[in-house]
Amino acid sequence: MRASFVFSEVVTGLRRNVTMTVAMILTTAISLGLLGGGLLVVRTIDRMQQDYYQRVETVVYLSADISANDPGCTSSTCSALRGQLESAPGVQTVIFESRQAAFARFQRIFQGQPELLQLARPEALPASLRVQLSDPARFPSIAKAFTGRPGVDRVTDQGEYLRQLFRALDGLRNATFVIALIQALAALLLISNTIQISAFTRRAEVGVMRLTGASRWYTQLPFLLEAVVAGVVGGVLAIVGLVIGKVAFVDRVLAGVFEAAIVPRIGYADIFSVAPILLLVGSVVAALTGYLTLRLYVRT
Amino acid sequence: MIRLEHVSKSYRTSTRPALDDVTVAVGKGEFAFLIGPSGSGKSTLLRLLLREEVASTGDVYVADLNVGRLSQRRIPQLRQRVGCVFQDFRLLANKTVSENVAFALEVIGKPRHTIRKVVPEVLELVGLEGKADRMPHELSGGEQQRVAIARAFVNRPLVLLADEPTGNLDRDISHEIMLLLERINRTGTTVLMATHDHAIVDSMRRRVVELQLGQVVRDESRGVYGVSR
Ligand SMILES: Nc1ncnc2c1ncn2[C@@H]1O[C@H](COP(=O)(O)OP(=O)(O)OP(=O)(O)O)[C@@H](O)[C@H]1O
Ligand SMILES: [Mg+2]
Repeated sequence: MRASFVFSEVVTGLRRNVTMTVAMILTTAISLGLLGGGLLVVRTIDRMQQDYYQRVETVVYLSADISANDPGCTSSTCSALRGQLESAPGVQTVIFESRQAAFARFQRIFQGQPELLQLARPEALPASLRVQLSDPARFPSIAKAFTGRPGVDRVTDQGEYLRQLFRALDGLRNATFVIALIQALAALLLISNTIQISAFTRRAEVGVMRLTGASRWYTQLPFLLEAVVAGVVGGVLAIVGLVIGKVAFVDRVLAGVFEAAIVPRIGYADIFSVAPILLLVGSVVAALTGYLTLRLYVRT
Repeated sequence: MIRLEHVSKSYRTSTRPALDDVTVAVGKGEFAFLIGPSGSGKSTLLRLLLREEVASTGDVYVADLNVGRLSQRRIPQLRQRVGCVFQDFRLLANKTVSENVAFALEVIGKPRHTIRKVVPEVLELVGLEGKADRMPHELSGGEQQRVAIARAFVNRPLVLLADEPTGNLDRDISHEIMLLLERINRTGTTVLMATHDHAIVDSMRRRVVELQLGQVVRDESRGVYGVSR
């Protein structure tokens, strides 16, 4: 197999149908870019989930009686609750927050709003046991076990809001993948079509190849490589697009969000860990499309 | 070298078989004409030898290959041993004369130094040594057919098939092409040529196999085209 010969055939083939080649490469790039975007969203969501669930607390609010009379959680009711929580499965730490401590925190949070602070009195705030779960999915069983116990007012979980947030993000990710899929379909049809056109414009060459006894590989490899070139170049463009998207869009628009550490930053390392996947998917899918097209439409 | 045994070929779309129980053999180094009216099955016979078509019944042999039984993967082996030229030359319009000839070797993976050596040799054999860098459209019809013959012959095939190679050429040029095919035949290559051309067949006095309606009606060792038509 003479590499230089096959290579020059590929270049001629791509050059001869410039418009189709460009369309094929751009569509492939957009499709792979969206796939890459989707994968980055998935990574971000995963990381956010870890972060957030580490930070969220399950809170067991204590009754008015304990709140008023037991500032150190020394009563038998309170200390029994604390002990049971500590030994419940999936619980990492339990911290008691007295009414005074809750009030101090309230004051800290609403520092800027003196009217609110004037109105508030410590009596309005309950004491609580703040529970860190090692696995946020344990919340329902904790809630069930402790709701309605003597000394317990109610059990809340900040996780519920997060779950809604993550459902929205999952939706975003799925939408990205669906668009990527539709684009991929367009890219596949374009690749297939380009190969058919390419085979048609080169029917004279292919005819001579067949009659001179060129092997199937020799006849078809140039077409296959054309498809693979589209896949690889499309993949490279997609990666460049993701980097540009990060610098020009994500970093600017979401600067505040990153600053506040609400969403973990998307780094170059993230993009480059997605890059090989895009190149691989691009070239393999393009090669398969090329192979099937040759099988179905091009006589050898 | 070439052997057909009780070969019939029916195309799916036509009612009459294109070849009907044909048995014929052409020996090594022989030169034979395949003649007959239009539609008598000459091109079909050549296509069977190239495995462009497969016989409906009967066996086709080229050298030691049972052509009809070859697997897809081994068809190239057959075609590397059988050169062919056509009425319409089939040159690649965007390649020069020597590139056209070299192409036939490149696509079967011959090393570059071999190609550089044999292409000028074969161009000299067909009388085109000064025109290696011309494009096909810069050549006369006769010269284009010489390029096609050079391309068919450059890999030294055992058999050269020619389907009306002089069909597009005038008398004198046709005669030159015949001299060239004779020269190739003298190198030991078996030549089988389908033609309508009375004058050529009559002047060459070679073996003649005549087909009519897909059947062999005449096989003479030093024949003429015949007077019946
Ligand atoms: N691909 C095909 N499909 C259907 N019928 C075909 C096909 N090729 C040839 N035929 C038929 O087979 C018969 C023989 O055709 P063939 O081309 O072998 O004749 P030929 O002797 O080469 O004629 P010509 O001198 O005009 O080239 C004809 O009746 C033709 O119509
Ligand atoms: Mg014919």
